[in-house]
Amino acid sequence: MLPLLRTPVATPHTLEEALSLLAEPGARILAGGTDILPNLKRGLGSPSTLVSLHAVDALRGVSVGDAGLSIGAGTTLTQVATSGDVKRMAPSLAEAAESVASPQIRNMATLGGNVCLDTRCRWVNQSDFWRGALGGCLKSAGMNPEASFAQAGVCHVVPGGKRCVAAISADTVPVLIALDATARVASASGTHRLPLAELYVNDGVQNLALEPGEMLLGVDVPTHAGARRERYVKWRVRGSIDFPLVSAALRFDLDAGALTQARLVVGVLGARPKQVAVQKVALGRPLDQALATELAELAHRQCKPLENVPYEAGHRRHMLRVLVRRAIEALADEA
Amino acid sequence: MTSSDKWQLGGRHRKLGAMERMRGVARYTDDLRLPRMLHAKILRSPHAHARILSIDASRALGMPGVIAVITGSDMPTPYGVIPWTTDENALAIEKALYVGDGVACVAAESEELALRALKGIEVEYEVLPAYFDPEEALAAEETINPYARKGNLSKKVELEFGDVDAALHGAALVIEADYEFHGTTHGAIEPHCALAKVDADGLLTVWSATQVPHYLHRELAKVLETPARQIRVIQPPLGGAFGGKSEPFDLEFCVAKLSQITGRPVKLLYTREEVFYAHRGRHPMKMHYRVGFDASGKLLAVDAKTVLDGGAYSSFGLVTTYYSGQLLCAPYELGAYRFDSRRAYTNKPACGPKRGHGSVQPRFAMEVSLDKAAVELGIDPIDLRRKNAMGEDCLTVNELRVGSNGFLDCLAAVEEASGWKQRRAKLGFGHGLGVAGSTYISGTNYCIYPNDMPQAAVQITLDRSGRARIFSGASDIGQGSDTMLAVIAGEELGLPTEDIRVLSADTDLCPVDLGAYSSRITLMVGNACLEAARKLRKKVTQSVAKRWECSPKQVNLVAREAIDMHDPERRAPLVEAFQWAEADHGLLGEVGSYDTPKDRHGSYRGGAIGASPAYSFTAHVAEVKVDAETGEVGLVKIWCAHDCGTAISRGLVEGQIEGSCYMGAAEVVLESHGVNSEMGGLHHGPSLLDYRMPTTLDTPEIEALIVEAPDARGPHGAKEAGEGPLHSTIPAIVNAIYDAVGVRVDDLPVTPAKLVRALAAQAEKGGV
Amino acid sequence: MNEPRETPPGARLLSFRLNGEDLSVATADHQTLLELLRYGLDRVGTKQGCDSGECGACTVLLDGRPVLACLTLAVQVEGRDVRTVEALAEREAAALLDAFDRHDAAQCGFCTPGVLMSAEALLMDKRRVVSQGEARAALSGNLCRCTGYTKILDAVVDASEKLVEAADRTREPAS
Ligand SMILES: Cc1cc2nc3c(=O)[nH]c(=O)nc-3n(C[C@H](O)[C@H](O)[C@H](O)COP(=O)(O)OP(=O)(O)OC[C@H]3O[C@@H](n4cnc5c(N)ncnc54)[C@H](O)[C@@H]3O)c2cc1C
Ligand code: SF4
Ligand code: FES
Ligand code: FES
Repeated sequence: MLPLLRTPVATPHTLEEALSLLAEPGARILAGGTDILPNLKRGLGSPSTLVSLHAVDALRGVSVGDAGLSIGAGTTLTQVATSGDVKRMAPSLAEAAESVASPQIRNMATLGGNVCLDTRCRWVNQSDFWRGALGGCLKSAGMNPEASFAQAGVCHVVPGGKRCVAAISADTVPVLIALDATARVASASGTHRLPLAELYVNDGVQNLALEPGEMLLGVDVPTHAGARRERYVKWRVRGSIDFPLVSAALRFDLDAGALTQARLVVGVLGARPKQVAVQKVALGRPLDQALATELAELAHRQCKPLENVPYEAGHRRHMLRVLVRRAIEALADEA
Repeated sequence: MTSSDKWQLGGRHRKLGAMERMRGVARYTDDLRLPRMLHAKILRSPHAHARILSIDASRALGMPGVIAVITGSDMPTPYGVIPWTTDENALAIEKALYVGDGVACVAAESEELALRALKGIEVEYEVLPAYFDPEEALAAEETINPYARKGNLSKKVELEFGDVDAALHGAALVIEADYEFHGTTHGAIEPHCALAKVDADGLLTVWSATQVPHYLHRELAKVLETPARQIRVIQPPLGGAFGGKSEPFDLEFCVAKLSQITGRPVKLLYTREEVFYAHRGRHPMKMHYRVGFDASGKLLAVDAKTVLDGGAYSSFGLVTTYYSGQLLCAPYELGAYRFDSRRAYTNKPACGPKRGHGSVQPRFAMEVSLDKAAVELGIDPIDLRRKNAMGEDCLTVNELRVGSNGFLDCLAAVEEASGWKQRRAKLGFGHGLGVAGSTYISGTNYCIYPNDMPQAAVQITLDRSGRARIFSGASDIGQGSDTMLAVIAGEELGLPTEDIRVLSADTDLCPVDLGAYSSRITLMVGNACLEAARKLRKKVTQSVAKRWECSPKQVNLVAREAIDMHDPERRAPLVEAFQWAEADHGLLGEVGSYDTPKDRHGSYRGGAIGASPAYSFTAHVAEVKVDAETGEVGLVKIWCAHDCGTAISRGLVEGQIEGSCYMGAAEVVLESHGVNSEMGGLHHGPSLLDYRMPTTLDTPEIEALIVEAPDARGPHGAKEAGEGPLHSTIPAIVNAIYDAVGVRVDDLPVTPAKLVRALAAQAEKGGV
Repeated sequence: MNEPRETPPGARLLSFRLNGEDLSVATADHQTLLELLRYGLDRVGTKQGCDSGECGACTVLLDGRPVLACLTLAVQVEGRDVRTVEALAEREAAALLDAFDRHDAAQCGFCTPGVLMSAEALLMDKRRVVSQGEARAALSGNLCRCTGYTKILDAVVDASEKLVEAADRTREPAS
């Protein structure tokens, strides 16, 4: 079977313990393990310690407060997908959680792990033998400082590129951004909040704006009193297991049939989700066929998938246009 | 009841050993462990083509827990499953021929230590130019395989039957097109695994997840230079194979050699990635077809030119190359036929036999050509196939003798079940039905190595407790061949299948069998089993008749009883009957063997390849819904009617049909074994994430329809069911896509991107 | 364990419930539950097909929910309830096994232990007759290469029917 390095695993029971363990240089979080373990089995990363969160009960659960939904980072995707509160207050989030991987993985995977999912690239999410045969790239060289790669400075997706464009592939992230969620982040020295959109930076090697020692405690999703239509669309080849090849989260707030807010967030392009600038076109208008076509065109124009995940970029771009248009059409029909 | 009535035959049976497998009691190869067992790992070449200048394992040997390292020069004798093409070494010696080719092997105290030790082996390579396209390889100066005799041409077959040029010249319609079949792999869920140990007296035992214990036995003897009588090969329960475990692999030689060297048991389990490198999957083929018809739709001639992409080694390639032409000659009368097939070596994992060996790709080209002709001629595609169907007991254009033939019944069955006539014309744009037909062999007429011994043999013993034991070399790879044998023997001996123990696939205990390939087991091993069982039945009925003072002919054995058919009140428990027989005849044991009839093929060179004692026939109708905007093909339903001669056990036949349809469907819309220059010869995604095998949500509803046209050469008329039903799945779906949206994609797989491009091109031309 | 093993760094005593039995075993931090089950405890019913979360062959029930043993570290099951295919006393499992056997739902049987665990969780969760669609969704993380799923799905639906019939029978005398 595939080897794991002999990394010690710490199993804290409280948040404080977890944070102090995480403060050790090189320590990393093990939540559901469904991303980090396959990666470590393939030699992607060499943490000094794995801090397992499975016994930290404080991180689990969905609660409803005045500000909206609050979901702990340790909540499993099955819980997110089946929670009555999530389904009612953020149906597109439940949809996105339900579309992740397979039933078994959703039972293990956490929302925090999904939000912090490593970026993916077909030149890196392979075995260490495979990457060695390739000669490495910007990202794999960064992840395994011990290995000496012949092509450590190269990007195979963007020849000549100096920045890794591995794709953010987490299903829940575009939705959370579209819903204006905020992240609750903690370290041994304190807690702070930031808009989820700001959690991501444009570098596939490390796309999270988290400092070493910082941990995501959970996400807060504000509620909306008025009319809202939202949806998550994901294109993948198989009906299950597969990561998204392109994805989009849509959210429209309406007042008397006119749009007061519009969000279109696209995943699986580069290292961070892309917010398509739709407000200017959309605000004040009704959710209808014409808008569906226009916004789909806008998404198509502004989003250029790269050959980073295993499917032709051109078709992924085409799919984005079709899925966005159809999603808006369906939302318009709901109205 | 008369003795000709069937008792259990043709019914449904609980599969032998199924409970043990399902409950996790049965031990598959990786479930076995032996005291002091070492673990082995293979170092693989990171280069697609490289000369090995030196290998230095001294650092690895100094690492903790490392017991031994071997390289190619420890096993220099080349091997190959086909004796005429021995072009492989257990580990590469002179050159590594693809990314993943084995170079050295370590045995250590644990798998982890073995893996770590791989990093301590230094190999100096001289990187050579690599070829990933078969035509480029054929044109290249550099010879890939060091044992190759004709450069990169691994095999060439050119045969012509009748005057093809004249026939095409006179044809009212010639459908000419290029077809491309991409590569696919088997994807058995159990990764390859082997375990070896050497006894104090030198006997080497190898347990392996193989479907060909006998061939493995032979090749081990050869490569290890150890007499075959000192080797025992055991095939534990197997977790799927589909042709992917039908020849020896590096791991088996390595564990055997390492256990000889170390004196300790050695196990090696492939990672999923290594399974993709071992491959032997379906050959990519580029096919140029010209198919001629007269105005009424009668086939006049087929002219086929095929280039096979073989990968680095021959594997079964000699046979594949023949099969790519020879197996096309039924179920239709072709008129005149010519094929020219060339197999090239390339720097990729070797291709070999996958379910429907060699003939799935040409079947795709042929059946799509027929569909195109039906459109051109304005004939219903099912009627066109009917019109060209050959009958039973006839000779194909390439002189294969076909016996029973249920093809027309297959066509009728899928036509009826799918509602073809009523529904097809009414389906709107995007919704379509497609049909295709095919044929396959029930075993090959000749063994892989020439010999005059029987192709299959079975030994049966009865004992006083009223049980039977069947010893068979046949490999039950999940298809249920043990159950099939138990049904056949039980039918003769009056035993329900649970009273029969089948001991199979152990070269020490069982008679030789050639293995689970070419769909040979039901017909060949079934016949051998029937012969042995009948001999025993005779002994038992004689003994009963002697005591009842009647004719043995009136004694029937059924449901654990001996019954006098003239006086059904007169009965005896079977156990007593067995005891009478043992008293009369001594220990009750009989053997049966089977050899193929040699009068069923032409005498031209190669005429025997593709010849079989009996042929199965299949027809498919597929229903699809195509999203013309996204190019996504929704598989709604597949109807498959398969003529298996006689269904010995219905559930088993249905299971083979369903599994075949599933596997074929995946080859149309999902799977692709990608190794090409795009990633420098690296496999595009050697994992079950990137090699997309269908989940429950991607698999259509499948309706298996059993058609029975018993063949005189099969046991109770039985033919094959394991591979035939895959073939026409593929063209049926491709034809349904055309029916749905009016465009054709002639290169597989039919991906959404390709379909969208094809639709756009069509729209530009002003079609649709 | 017959093989000599070094005492791994971070070796610890792990206590959990396996198939109804409380166990304390030595484990190393980096050992997966799959390795522990198969190689440490010789419970070989749980299979390995990819070791990366992609096939479902290693599915076990953790606190009643199907999870993948290849992506679970042994240390993560401390104090928890693990059920594998070897535990087939419960009525759901027995009904499933019988239905799988009657329908010929296992060919090579290699995926079957994992499939059975997913199916068992479905039946325990629903406690009613399930539809083909529900069965498809519940098994969508278990790859089977042999059967085309047809007979597996039939068997799961059939088992759910048999369970409901049996439950009705036991209720009848009371009513
Ligand atoms: C076969 C397969 C298919 C998959 N398909 C999909 C898919 O379709 N869509 C999808 O989105 N994902 C998919 N995944 C990836 C993964 O299962 C999910 O993204 C999952 O949500 C990850 O959560 P986890 O708890 O298992 O994360 P882990 O693997 O435990 O962690 C992931 C990363 O996040 C970090 N992390 C975890 N929790 C925190 C925290 N609280 N604070 C800071 N950092 C944290 C970890 O250190 C690690 O770097 C798939 C995985 C597999 C194996
Ligand atoms: S995008 Fe480029 S640098 Fe980043 S992982 Fe892929 S190949 Fe490497
Ligand atoms: S072995 Fe765990 S999912 Fe494949
Ligand atoms: S029965 Fe063989 S993989 Fe499912």
